[in-house]
Amino acid sequence: MDFTYIMQVTKALMEGFGATLWLFVLVLVLSIPIGFLMTLILRCKIAPLRWLVNVYVYVLRGTPLLLQLMVVYFGINLAFSDYFHIKRETAAALAFVLNYSAYFAEIFRGGLLAIDKGQYEACKVLGMSKLQTNIHVIIPQMFRVAMPSVTNEAITLVKDTALLYAVSVPEILHYAKATVVRDSDMTAFVVAGVIYLIMNTVFTLLFTKIEKKMAY
Amino acid sequence: MAFIQVEELKKSYGSLEVLKNVNFTVEKGDVIAIIGSSGSGKSTLLRCLIELETINGGTVKIGDDYLIKDGQYPTPAELKRVTSKMGMVFQNFNLFPHKTVGENLILPTMLVKKTDKDTAMQNCRLLLKKVGLEDKIDVYPKYLSGGQQQRVAIARALMQNPEILLFDEPTSALDPQLTGEVLGVMRNLAAERMTMLVVTHEMSFARDVATKVLFMHGGEIVEAGTPEQIFNNPQNEKTKQFLAAAVR
Repeated sequence: MDFTYIMQVTKALMEGFGATLWLFVLVLVLSIPIGFLMTLILRCKIAPLRWLVNVYVYVLRGTPLLLQLMVVYFGINLAFSDYFHIKRETAAALAFVLNYSAYFAEIFRGGLLAIDKGQYEACKVLGMSKLQTNIHVIIPQMFRVAMPSVTNEAITLVKDTALLYAVSVPEILHYAKATVVRDSDMTAFVVAGVIYLIMNTVFTLLFTKIEKKMAY
Repeated sequence: MAFIQVEELKKSYGSLEVLKNVNFTVEKGDVIAIIGSSGSGKSTLLRCLIELETINGGTVKIGDDYLIKDGQYPTPAELKRVTSKMGMVFQNFNLFPHKTVGENLILPTMLVKKTDKDTAMQNCRLLLKKVGLEDKIDVYPKYLSGGQQQRVAIARALMQNPEILLFDEPTSALDPQLTGEVLGVMRNLAAERMTMLVVTHEMSFARDVATKVLFMHGGEIVEAGTPEQIFNNPQNEKTKQFLAAAVR
């Protein structure tokens, strides 16, 4: 195993790095607010809306992400082939955002459940409205409680981006597989593993820093 | 006419009657100690007065306003106006853990009374000084002892400028050596003629500071009187039993 080969392979795999990073950032940025919104809906007074979110979370948490990805890409393109065609990247982003927002909804719901009812009572006897209570007291604590689980999800997300392989979006694993087959040499898999590890190390450090900043 | 009048107050959870027929009056500046064993309804009584529990029947009049009249609540706005005359201190302090001591004090007044920040801060420093914690203004609650946290909670309740303060077992979550500093603050408030209703297991506080003691048993006030009457010459069998066990 010589160094120039490793460098060459790394360079090839880095062509897929962009797709991986793009999906990661997009999914995180979209699914956290959507998940949070769903948590708020779960607490609203309109029952049908709550049922809708519950069913949504139930289905998306209860079926494999890979299946969801295939349904969104192949399924939609088959069903609506006469009208439009979803691009692979769009389908992948859509499936990931749908799936991850369901998880984030559950994480934030757990965060809310962890907050002592004494906090609500204190706000009430101090005369604060429900909205003021939620904005100033409950939600900031919810994010703090949920942060370790959010970090955990982010790390899972880095690894899940490899599922893009299934819909042939050229990302890290795609190039690794091609290189391995071409050269009959598994170095590319090892390099791919190292790239994922480095990404997760960076993100873990970043999220730990955010967690520390949010600590009180 | 009494400052607080409670008549035939009833509260039940389903078929379980936790407050059966509670009657008492409080004068301005009174310190009422509510004593009794666990499950006698003393905390529930306090929580009913500040609308943390719904009352099922009876009349509560505070000043000239009705919190509830013959089992009928007023409009939500009126109810809020009546309860805003009261502050409450909890067993578990219930400070906001993500806010500093200073923020704990100024946030509610700024939100509820729309006090500007400078005025709120001024008041905040004054009250923290009163409870002996002016140097803790920028500290987060978790760095304080239980006794200090409870003193902050008292200061936070005072920020709203209440006419009546309710204390729900304010020293029950504290180590014995920390109860003194909290009771000290409460003694000072009593000396300033703050009207207080205190659910407590601190018999010495009830004996020394209270102007009136209510003994509760089974959801009723079975005996009420001055501390001398209750502690030195209890009439009811249940009171005698309770005190024999409590004051050893």
